[in-house]
Amino acid sequence: MKITGGATLHAPVGTVWTALNDPAILVRAIPGCERLTATAPDTYQLTVTAGVGTITGTYTGEIALTPQQPPSAFLLTATGSGGPGTVSTSVQVRLADDGNGATQLTYDADATVGGVIAGVGQRMLTSVARRQATQFFTAIDELLLTRAAPAQPAAPPEGVRPGGAAGVSSPTAAAPPGASGTTWERPTADRQPAGRLGARPPTGSFLTGVAAGAAIALAGVIVGGLIARRKR
Amino acid sequence: MTSFFGASVQRVEDDRLLRGLGAYLDDLGDDALAAAFVRSPHAHARITDIDVSGALDVDGLVAIYTFEDLPGRLAEPLPLLIPHPSLTHGRTPYPLAAGEVNHVGEPVVMVVARDRYLAEDAAGQIEVSYQPLPAVVGLAAARAAQHLVHDDVPGNLAGNAVQENGDARAAISAAPHVLELDFEIERSASTPLEGRGVLARWDGQAQRMRIWTSTQTSTGVRAAVAAKLGLALADVDVITPDVGGGFGVKIVHPWPEEVLVPWAARLLGQPVKFTEDRREHFIASAHERAQQHHVRVGFDDGGRILGLDVRFWHDNGAYIPYGLIVPIVTSTQLLGPYKPGAYRVEFDSLYTNTVIVTPYRGAGRPQGAFVMERTMDAIAAALRLDRAVVRERNFIQPGEMPYDQGLIFQDGRPLIYDSGDYPALLAKLKELIGWDQFAAYQQAARAQGRRVGIGLGCYVEGTGVGPYEGGHVVVETSGKVKVATGLTTQGQGHQTVFAQLVADELGVPLADVQIVTGDTRRFGYAVGTFASRAAVMSGSAIALAARKARAKALRVAAEAMEVSADDLEIVDGIVQVKGDPASGIALGTVAVLSNPLRYAFDDAAQAATQFAGGDASRPPVAEGEEPGIEGRAFFSPARSTFASGMHAAIVETDPDTAEVTILRYCVVHDCGRLINPRIVEGQIHGGVAQGVAGALYERMAYDDAGQLQNASFMDFLMPYVSEVPARIEIGHQQTPSPLNPLGIKGAGEAGVIPGAAVLAAAIEDAEGFPVTSMPMSPSDLFELRRTHKDTP
Amino acid sequence: MSGGEELHEVRLTVNGAAYQVRVPARRLLSDCIRHDLGLTGTHVGCEHGVCGACTILLDGDPVRSCLMLAVSADGAQITTVEGLAEPDGTLSPVQQAFADCHGLQCGFCTPGFLTTITAGLRATPDPGEQQAREMVGGNLCRCTGYHNIVASVLRAAQIQRERAARRP
Repeated sequence: MKITGGATLHAPVGTVWTALNDPAILVRAIPGCERLTATAPDTYQLTVTAGVGTITGTYTGEIALTPQQPPSAFLLTATGSGGPGTVSTSVQVRLADDGNGATQLTYDADATVGGVIAGVGQRMLTSVARRQATQFFTAIDELLLTRAAPAQPAAPPEGVRPGGAAGVSSPTAAAPPGASGTTWERPTADRQPAGRLGARPPTGSFLTGVAAGAAIALAGVIVGGLIARRKR
Repeated sequence: MTSFFGASVQRVEDDRLLRGLGAYLDDLGDDALAAAFVRSPHAHARITDIDVSGALDVDGLVAIYTFEDLPGRLAEPLPLLIPHPSLTHGRTPYPLAAGEVNHVGEPVVMVVARDRYLAEDAAGQIEVSYQPLPAVVGLAAARAAQHLVHDDVPGNLAGNAVQENGDARAAISAAPHVLELDFEIERSASTPLEGRGVLARWDGQAQRMRIWTSTQTSTGVRAAVAAKLGLALADVDVITPDVGGGFGVKIVHPWPEEVLVPWAARLLGQPVKFTEDRREHFIASAHERAQQHHVRVGFDDGGRILGLDVRFWHDNGAYIPYGLIVPIVTSTQLLGPYKPGAYRVEFDSLYTNTVIVTPYRGAGRPQGAFVMERTMDAIAAALRLDRAVVRERNFIQPGEMPYDQGLIFQDGRPLIYDSGDYPALLAKLKELIGWDQFAAYQQAARAQGRRVGIGLGCYVEGTGVGPYEGGHVVVETSGKVKVATGLTTQGQGHQTVFAQLVADELGVPLADVQIVTGDTRRFGYAVGTFASRAAVMSGSAIALAARKARAKALRVAAEAMEVSADDLEIVDGIVQVKGDPASGIALGTVAVLSNPLRYAFDDAAQAATQFAGGDASRPPVAEGEEPGIEGRAFFSPARSTFASGMHAAIVETDPDTAEVTILRYCVVHDCGRLINPRIVEGQIHGGVAQGVAGALYERMAYDDAGQLQNASFMDFLMPYVSEVPARIEIGHQQTPSPLNPLGIKGAGEAGVIPGAAVLAAAIEDAEGFPVTSMPMSPSDLFELRRTHKDTP
Repeated sequence: MSGGEELHEVRLTVNGAAYQVRVPARRLLSDCIRHDLGLTGTHVGCEHGVCGACTILLDGDPVRSCLMLAVSADGAQITTVEGLAEPDGTLSPVQQAFADCHGLQCGFCTPGFLTTITAGLRATPDPGEQQAREMVGGNLCRCTGYHNIVASVLRAAQIQRERAARRP
């Protein structure tokens, strides 16, 4: 399944680049994402709870960010799996200066969907993915305009000592070297009740970080959204 | 002992149905997801985009499928069920439209959701973009072929076929009298009260599919679904539930929904159900009847037909999955009970951007009867002869049976009438309606300013077409008899009629016999219910199977009772020495004895266990034998067997409003021996109602853009009780069939076949001008009167 | 049942039994009876009020349940085909008449006829043939041609009379 698209983000390329690589922001960006845990440099395991009405599902996924030509191109690979299905995707993300101080982002995603979710029909899958991507970029744009504070990393799990600068990160700082085990949690104030995926998020939404574009949308949202949708 | 054969036994299925305990398709599968479809609103268009995003917000949405989602064989067109050498350009639809739609109603997108309301909500939000193309509607447009339905079908011609017997054109050229006539019949449809529906359950552990569908052919659906989904036949069950009427439309298979619903059930791992609504039935199932005929007939001074040359055009709709059956039936059955000196028939089957055309009760015979009978009347008018006399002069005589018409019938076999007595039938009809007395009545009525007319119509019906049907009879240890046959039931009373046969053959009480039809788990080899074949085919097979079971029972009982089997009879379920009830043992006990046991499961079974006795020197089950009292048999005749009938009607037309009132309607019919006369009469009543409705009320009103303007019961005039003759007078004749062990012929379609012919004739007789097209509504008649204002 | 829609509580007495369901406002009474209450004897033939297969008795009057919303029937006493037989299981006069006269073939339209005629005979216990025809004049049947249905109406009246005469 191939999806391409783009968005205009109202911040310079460098700012956008940094935000896209910041896990503290990612955890607040992905709908239903409760926790991001670093498992290796630029690699995170995520736990997502997503729901439709009273129906929720939890699944785990992994995202890896591979800088290719900072700050203008990177590759995102993501996998996710839950009860009814699996997703594996790679997304080529490109950032370019649009000449007016804003960034033109384009993404080129290739996703493989398996399990029962694969059975809901291609157009429904791509339509959901496209919608999520659009919503995320709208939210990203909002964030870049309001510049809300990012989340704090949680206490590390027992037995694992965080290395390096495990502390506050801001959209403008370099991506913290998240040592294995470092976990970022969505701030409580940020948490939304399991919302309906596919619906437009409320204004001033919980998205205060930057979504890692379509890859996250695809990996996180599709699996979650379609798990929820699929339930009887 | 009284026989059940020929008895008007009350139906065994009625109690359940009267209590509301019927199990029709939509009554099943409460736990299933619901499927709904986005269907084309255009008669002819290319699909340019499908945007499903609007549907995503519908709660309970599970899946949305389009053609691109269909894998393997599902991405191929649906089967062309009946190939024929003359069908040179057969086209069938894809289960979901693959870029092009060819009729309003063609399915484009399939939605699956938690219930039907939500599925339809989602379907309503899906936006399909079309580029409309010119629509070909009606035979005139199809023939002119200014536009094509299918780009690769020149002239919109699916197939052209010719059959002839002798040189009709030469005979006509040499004939003393020649007439040239044109006739037209419009579309109608089966419209059973229950529409189509299908429910599928996929067993992921056993990797088996179980399907319920409101069909006329369980084995047909099974074969098609197995082929499309890559399953073995043995891994697909098709169960026919109670069916609320078929009348032909449900013989088509597989409907797109019949392959898509099982496919979705397997893909989603959940049961899925589809039930169409009434509008969908009008625009997405099937129609029939539309034809245009051009006839040239040459005849002598006595009205004997020397040559008959029929050229006709058949509208087969957007696709032709059922092949050329309907026009082939028209071609061959047009001859009716007559033997023209020479006959030539040629037809073109043409595509139009409308719903597909497949058999509807009569399956092309009503069109043929209309043409032949109107021609007969035209000959009589030209020669000023009595219309009945002209027919008599053209009849095949009883002494000429079997009579070979020199044509190939719809079963691929020679059109040979095996039996029938047409002169006797006509004599009966004339007496019943008072044919010879009518002229005086008409005169008297005219004097009062009333317009009355009489018409008659004859037909012949090839029934019991092959290839075969089968039956399985099992006598259980309880004495109950379980019977199965593979074809299906849509209200014909098979559970009663077949039970009558078995009760007779086996000598058991009727209440002890249970019949199951249309369940591939119970009987896997079958064709289906259509063409008035069920009693002939399954009835014969079941009777033969029962005879086998009976023979086995007598053999086993004879051994146990130490008598000869020839000395035994079965009365009321007791196997006894003839005339000696005290000697008997129950059939159920015989069943116990027929199955040597190691373990007794009850007291009665003890008699069959190892230490209960018997000859220890012989094997418990002899070579070539099987345990149990069962019989399994198939019936496969060489040809169809020909029923026949004649109808007559007296109508009155209102001089001002042009309304047509049927004063009397008489039927004489011959379907050989009758198993249950009341059920046969019920079939005639229903058929006559459809014939009358087709003659006066029903037509599919397509506009030039291919929109069906009357796709509901509000505007498609299904008859209520007020539109049907209050009394249908029925006379019987029985010329037994020599082609099956029971001597029976089919009766299912008889009532409808000559309806249009008869009423057209009666209206013409009342009005005094030719009636050459049906249906005839009051406004049609009004217009016709204006056209013929100057005709006396 | 639908997800996001507001649900309304509906109380129905059907064939003497009390039911309570929560349904969306747009739920048809026919679908409610068939799928929420599981009484599938009432059939749906057209969903636009023409065929009469869905006819039930609402407070004694024949009503096309496909043209009613379930919420509109709140508090009503409904009789469906499943409720026509006597408490001891004996078929009602109308039901018995249909069996006697071969008044049904596929049986799909039959429940609508049974309820309609039950109400009709209550109003006109001794119909002539024309009245019998009018009584069933609004229900469609595709199988029987109505001949035996009209006969069933007259036979039902007769059975009703006979049973009344036998009662002490």
